[in-house]
Order: sequence, then structure tokens, then C-alpha cells
Amino acid sequence: MNPGPASALAPAVDTRPPSAIWRALGWLLWLWIALAIVGAFLWAPLAQAFIGQSSRILFFHVPMAWASFVAFLAAGVWSVLYLVRRDADHDRAAAAAVELGLLFAILATVTGSMWAKVMWHAWWNGDPRQTSIVVALVFYAAYLVLRGAVEDPELRGRLCAAYAVLGLVVAPYLYFVAPRMASFTLHPQPVVNTAAKVDVEIRMLTVLLASSLGFTALFFWVHRLRLRLLRIDARKNTRT
Amino acid sequence: MSVPARSAARRWLGEVVAVFVKDWRAELRTRHALHTLLLFSLTTLLTVSTALGPLGVSPSERVGVLPALLWIILLFAAAAGLPRSFVHEEETHTAIALRLAATPSAVFCGKTLFCASLLAGVELILVPLYVAMMQLSIASAGGLVVALAMGGLGLAIASTLLAAIAAQAQGRAALFPILAFPLLLPLLLLAIELTRGAVEGVMPDAVLVNLVLYDATMAVAGLMLFPLVWNP
Repeated sequence: MNPGPASALAPAVDTRPPSAIWRALGWLLWLWIALAIVGAFLWAPLAQAFIGQSSRILFFHVPMAWASFVAFLAAGVWSVLYLVRRDADHDRAAAAAVELGLLFAILATVTGSMWAKVMWHAWWNGDPRQTSIVVALVFYAAYLVLRGAVEDPELRGRLCAAYAVLGLVVAPYLYFVAPRMASFTLHPQPVVNTAAKVDVEIRMLTVLLASSLGFTALFFWVHRLRLRLLRIDARKNTRT
Repeated sequence: MSVPARSAARRWLGEVVAVFVKDWRAELRTRHALHTLLLFSLTTLLTVSTALGPLGVSPSERVGVLPALLWIILLFAAAAGLPRSFVHEEETHTAIALRLAATPSAVFCGKTLFCASLLAGVELILVPLYVAMMQLSIASAGGLVVALAMGGLGLAIASTLLAAIAAQAQGRAALFPILAFPLLLPLLLLAIELTRGAVEGVMPDAVLVNLVLYDATMAVAGLMLFPLVWNP
């Protein structure tokens, strides 16, 4: 291998396969999520005032929405870091986080819509939470379109990071203003609500927290894989 | 204020005015953005008025429907015309000269002023036509002016920053609406709500405060992010 001028420009990035500890953690994660699934269907009781078994979607829908929130927040943090340090790896990390956040957000939207069909008798109700997640979807899809529209990695990093930060700035208006505009919401109160009161049965809460933790860990685990792939791509491109 | 600080501030203000005047001079040579904005808003207005007519919306629904349609016309007109200010710089390769000639914050403020004045001009022509053609009775004319001014200002600030991003990517003008709409949605909702208030004659103060806050947030974010977007 000949370290030419191109590789001198790009700082060395770690593209080694995951160590034995990481692989073991990966297996532990599979086991954890499997247990959460079993717990969701067999151990946790049904919530009251929900049609049929529909309340069990709580253990998947909420963690998905949570994981997408974590992913978008992480993408925002990496974008700010990129703007400060200009390390191409932060840009790649932000891009990978947006891709995964988008995936989790689509899953949360679809599962939410299925649940709405059962409980509210319509796939789509214009509920503020539905609106805000769809705007988030459109925003991060636009982020990926922007990534695809810029050739130069440095310029792409700057423009995309600025756009992601702008999204973080506008997000509060979306979360606080859009729901305020609607006269009502049918969406169940979040488990962690403004009243700072958790009114969920203890077994349900256990499964929900375990599942949320599992989905968050799943995000970071897949993010590691994706980031490694992006690093290998970048190294391949600088070599040729 | 000390003398060097005052002269620096004066120089900065001079740069802002220079960018603003330069943009208008370039615009009046081709009138590209002006024509796009005007014709776009007029054709959409004609579509709306022929599809609905003054009596197509029942009186009970007018307050709900007509302000929303007005802002949708304005939004699309802005998306068609406003990115021009930066796309033009990239197409004629004058962006590099502008980077050398003025500080980024002065470029941002000058361009924002240009976009805001352009939009104000279009609003001045479009809104009276809209009110007349849709037979919309306005209870509070002052409220309508406030709604149009604050909404238009937010639209101009956000568009300037987003146009600077879109102009440096491939696809440029086509990319702009995709980037802008998710970020402009809160502004649009607030502006529509405020316009409804003006039509009814009851100004919702909380909405106005939120709209002013949105404009201020966008201005601060623009001043912080624009140098990062603009300077290589």
C-alpha cells in the first residue's frame, strides 16, 4: 500500500471489523430484543380502553419513535461537531444517523397509522403528532436529497451540516406550534408526560423501557456498521 | 461606541446597502425574479379564482379557506422567484467576487433585504387583487398588513439562507422547494392563522408573538450559519 498525497489529506479512519467484545454485545442485543418481543406479547397485560390486542403496539411503536428521535438528535450533534472541527468522519456519522432515523421514523409512522386504523377507524387523522413526524420525514428526506446533489465532500459536509442544524432550530416550532394549531389531539399522552406522572402498569412499563433501550442500542449498533461501510467507501474513493 | 467600532459598523452597513442596491440593479436589468414572482402569483391566483370563484367558497368557510390559499400562492411564488438571487451569482460566477468584496453577514443581510422588498412588492400587487377577486372582506386592514409583513419577512430570511445552500448544489432552483417547505411550514401555519385573525378582526396575540419569534430565530440562525455555508 502506497500512502500517496490523497491519503495524507484524509485522516486515518478505523475500518477494522468489530472486536470480539462488540460481536458479543451484538449477540446480547439480539437476545435482549427477543426477550422484549416475548415480553410484549406474553408477559405484559393489555391496557384498558384499547380495542382488542391493539395496545401491544405500544412496545414497538413508542421505541421506534424514540429511536428516530435519538437518531435525529445524534445527527444534529454530529453536524454541529462537523461545523466546529471539520472532521469528515463526523459528516459521515451524521449522514448514517439520518438514514437510520428516517428508517425508524417511517416504521413509527406506519405502525402508528395501523394502530390509528384500529382505534380511530382511519389510517390518517391529521393528528398533530402525525403531522410533526411527517414533516420530520420530509425534512430528513430533503437532507438526503441535498447530500446526493453535491459532489465535493467538503462542500457537501458544510451545506448538509448547516441544513441539519437549521432543522434543529426550527424543530421546537414544529413540536409546540403545530399541535397548538390543532384544536384537539386523540393521541394517547406520552408515557413521560408534562404531568411528570407515570400511569402505566409496572409490567407494561418494564417491557416498554426494555424495548426502548433495545431499539436505542439497535440504532447505535447498526449505526456502527453503516459508519464502517461509509469509511471503507471513503477510503476506496481516496485511493483511486 | 468607540471611533473604530463606529467606522466598522458604518462600513458594514455600507456593504449591506451596496449588496442590496447591486441586487436590485442586476434584477432591473433582466427582471427575471420579478417577472417569475409576479407571473407565478398571478397564474396561481387565476387558477384559484376560476376554480372557486368568489362564490365557490361558502361564507362560513371563507375565513378558514381563503387566507390559507393566499399564503400557499405566496409560498409557491417565493419558491419560484427568491432562490434566483443566489442562483444568479453562481451561474454568472460572480459569487467569488462577492465573497471577496463583502463580509458574509453583510451579504446575508443585503440579500435578505432584497428578497423582502421583492416579496413586499409582489404582496402589494397580489393581495389587493386577491381580496377583490375572491370578494374577501377584511375586518382589520392593519392586522393584514402586519401578517403580510411579518410572514413575508420570515419567508425572505429563511429563503435567503436556503437559497445560498441550494445554489451551490446541483439542481439549484429545483432543489430549493424541497429544502424549504419542511422548514417554512411553521411560518406558514402562523401566518395563515394571523391572516385569519385579520379577516375576522380579532388579532391572536400569541400567534403574532410566535411569528415574530420565528422570524428572530431564523435571523439569528441565518447570521450564524450563513458564513459557514457561504465561505469555503
